[in-house]
Amino acid sequence: MAAISPQPGGIDLTETSGWRRTKNQIATVVMWSAFALVLIPLVWVLFTVIQKGARAISWKFLTGSPIPPNVMPLSFPGGMWPAILGTLEITGFAAVIAIPLGVLGAVYINEYGGNGWLAKFIAFMADVMTGVPSIVMGLFIFTIWTLHYSYSGMAGSFALACLMLPIVIRSTYEMLLLVPDELRQASYALGATKARVTLSVVLPAAVAGITSGALLAVARAAGETAPLMFVILSTQNTNANLFAGANTALSTQIFANAQSPFVGAQDRAWGAALTLIVIAFILMLGARLITARFTRNTR
Amino acid sequence: MQLRGSKQAAAAGGAVIAALALAACSSSSSSSSSAAAAPSGATTAASSASSSSAPVSGTINAAGSTFQTNFQQAAIAGFKAVQPGVTVNYGGGGSGAGRTALYSNTVLFAGSDSPVPAKDASKVPAGKTVLYFPVQIGPIALAYNLSGVTGLKLDATVLAGIFQGTVKTWNDPAIKALNPGASLPSTAITPVVRSDSSGTTANFSSYLVDAAPSAWKLGTASTISFPASAHAANGGSGVAQAIKTTSGSIGYVDFSTASASGLSSASIKNQAGDFVAPSPTSAAAAASQVTPKANLTFAAVDQPGAGSYPVTYQSWDLVYAQQPSANDAALLKAYLGYLLGAGQQLLTPLNLAPLPTSIDQAAVAQLSKITAAS
Amino acid sequence: MSTVTKADPATPAGSARPLSAGRRLGDRGFALLALAAGLLVLVILVLITLSTAQQSANWFSTEGWSGIFSTVWDVQNNKFGPMAFLYGTVISSLIAIIVAVPVSVSVALLLTEVVPRRWSQPIVYVIDLLAVVPSVVWGLWGLIVFVPWLQNTVYSSLASFFDGVPVLGSLFGPPYSGTSFMTAGIVLAVMITPIITSLAREVIATVPTTDKEGAYALGATRWEMIRGAVWPHSQGGVVGAILVGLGRAMGETIAAALLIGSVPQVTSHLFAPGYSIPAGIANLFPEASGEFRSALIGMGLMLFVITILVNLGARGFVVRSTRRNKGSA
Repeated sequence: MAAISPQPGGIDLTETSGWRRTKNQIATVVMWSAFALVLIPLVWVLFTVIQKGARAISWKFLTGSPIPPNVMPLSFPGGMWPAILGTLEITGFAAVIAIPLGVLGAVYINEYGGNGWLAKFIAFMADVMTGVPSIVMGLFIFTIWTLHYSYSGMAGSFALACLMLPIVIRSTYEMLLLVPDELRQASYALGATKARVTLSVVLPAAVAGITSGALLAVARAAGETAPLMFVILSTQNTNANLFAGANTALSTQIFANAQSPFVGAQDRAWGAALTLIVIAFILMLGARLITARFTRNTR
Repeated sequence: MQLRGSKQAAAAGGAVIAALALAACSSSSSSSSSAAAAPSGATTAASSASSSSAPVSGTINAAGSTFQTNFQQAAIAGFKAVQPGVTVNYGGGGSGAGRTALYSNTVLFAGSDSPVPAKDASKVPAGKTVLYFPVQIGPIALAYNLSGVTGLKLDATVLAGIFQGTVKTWNDPAIKALNPGASLPSTAITPVVRSDSSGTTANFSSYLVDAAPSAWKLGTASTISFPASAHAANGGSGVAQAIKTTSGSIGYVDFSTASASGLSSASIKNQAGDFVAPSPTSAAAAASQVTPKANLTFAAVDQPGAGSYPVTYQSWDLVYAQQPSANDAALLKAYLGYLLGAGQQLLTPLNLAPLPTSIDQAAVAQLSKITAAS
Repeated sequence: MSTVTKADPATPAGSARPLSAGRRLGDRGFALLALAAGLLVLVILVLITLSTAQQSANWFSTEGWSGIFSTVWDVQNNKFGPMAFLYGTVISSLIAIIVAVPVSVSVALLLTEVVPRRWSQPIVYVIDLLAVVPSVVWGLWGLIVFVPWLQNTVYSSLASFFDGVPVLGSLFGPPYSGTSFMTAGIVLAVMITPIITSLAREVIATVPTTDKEGAYALGATRWEMIRGAVWPHSQGGVVGAILVGLGRAMGETIAAALLIGSVPQVTSHLFAPGYSIPAGIANLFPEASGEFRSALIGMGLMLFVITILVNLGARGFVVRSTRRNKGSA
């Protein structure tokens, strides 16, 4: 335990001994080195992705279609637009499913569930669900959907939505907890129904936190590969139709190309990696800005 | 990781671009002219595939053999010029996955390096017959990483010893006997094998069973239990990467991946007693010796003939003869017709080999068996 | 998540105006909608369990209990013992935890105790950036850049150094490979650091300031304050955070699939290639059929159950710790 030894009947205000000060300094150095250690892989990976990916990025790369064959170099006509569109559409649709359902679920747990065992159980299970391996989600959708209704971007959205749902529930729940009870009580005192209170008072009060949590969940989903691997059937062509037909995404393209010996495929993998990081980064930045701006306002 | 194969890849790329342009020009008119100069094995049967002339539109979903992925991707790009209204999606994923997708009707055709296994016969829906369309031939290279040694010569017995762990060093007398002029070091041999199920493993082991039956004890299957001393890697490109980074290693991997990775490949002794290096020509020579069964299945390993590369394999596209919709039948005939016709020219630049003329013609004739339910 | 107690104020005392039928219906409808959304979580979990159990029934019945706990993975001869995959999952996750926990907890302490509020933003952004890099990009960078460096610079020298050394040699000696338990473990550590850091921060933030200031008032150095005031209060929660990180590392698929070596084996050598359950499913599922496929899904079910247990443990620790803090506030 700490070497605090108050003198009997008084507080010890003497200079800290040399050894104690050294221990403190060592601890501080260790903590800062931990941070430096964290910086190393981050800087390394970002540097590599930017350096190798920037070479591939061009207007043609981002908007061209279809995706060139693996053996073809970067200069071959076509680009990664099918994958970019796929990522945006599949993740977007997953967000449309998961965010409202997640918010409603958190509303149930926090506003309607009260002390009941069901609300507590659901909250518990939502936490457990965040730990389900993403490959299990993918296999699940493969078994119950793809085998019956064939491949589609929508199947990928279902898998991603299963992944996002518990994350949205948890972050929304935390935000709802922060809304002061006085707001609710004032509204009830004015005669509002529970639904009205929730929709018009509680949710708007927490909207900044909910949005930022949702954006982080979307950023996480945009980068996921395993849930999509078996359910969308990769393709080189642009498929704007989410509900039918094979589709592709940046994450699955990166995974498929990561081990390819062909230079063109590797270049495209790095370009796709850079694009994906930029998309996820924009979402994260948006989340942080919303949190910062609205937190300042409420203070 | 620097890819020493970048020059080969660039050359391959240039050649495929040229072939695609050629194929596009020659097939853009409704009846393909024989302006498509035919390299050995390619056929002008494209002009007789009249089913490719009428414009069709729709989508073909397909999956299966990763051995076919490079060819399918190039063909899809070339086919766009022939039939702009057709979208073809080839998802890869492995021969097993492709066949499973075919049984559950989620794809129109499946790429497979081997015929439907007997135990899966019950999974084919009642009333459906599976048609086999061979589409490509390719060599399996024995790629190695041994500094200072080029032009390595090996035969089936030595290979059996290497991959069973009985031949342990490069200066083993059995290897020395085949390579009298080479200075072989005493480095330990690291065999590199596939850790996942693969048609390459199935065909390589089938070659060893054929050519060295007394020496090779591990049988033939998509997954072989190699001895623990073997270094396993996932996927053909994983094997190539492992060989590249491990000095003294040797592994079996399809030739196009091996050459794209810049690896040297050994010359293997064939039935005629010649040591033949893997190449599109030697693979085509092997394939030309094959007599397929009536359903067009065959095995191209261990073929006779002076220039035949003994570890050659093949891949088929599997289709149901009975198609529920007339449009699906037309789409399949158009695309498969292209693969068997103008598409065959795309193979050589990819370090694969086109089908021998007789097999190609038989396959084109089989297209008429794809019928639509009335 | 802590439990919240509050009275239901939906019917305030003294309210004279009755609700109209329409408003009551709308209120009821919304309540049901919320309930349905909540139940959806349970429905999905149940469906996942049922479908994976059904698909793996073939494997369970063929192998029996002895087969389920076997390490023999021999596809050619139809032997599907999953223990080598489970071993790899556990080992790589343990390596990840051993590497990540000191770093994450240190950074969390840095953010809460050492760095003034104003300057904490950049550090938080760095942690966020770490979280935002997708796992497939970690895998791509890992495979192409990190693995060759590790194999040729780090592992080769360490392995030859420890070759033959009594105990450490069996851990760090040869055989070695760039893709291995250790490589996967290190990259997993980098990936779980943001989660553990942010959860640990939350937990440490609940430590009452009076305790901290009291320690300072007694003349404690910052390190002594941390040991004496912060740690006893937050240790349960930090352990919970660690368990969440562990669960996440065990379930990580893509980075492991690319980096762990793809060889199902049980070996003490940490630099040797191995396999983990999610990586095995991702790499082997496409070509699998019949009992092979059933075995892979069965392994997935095993992992699902294990991560549920780990998360249960994590929740238990966090709940207990925060409850204790609330009482002492």
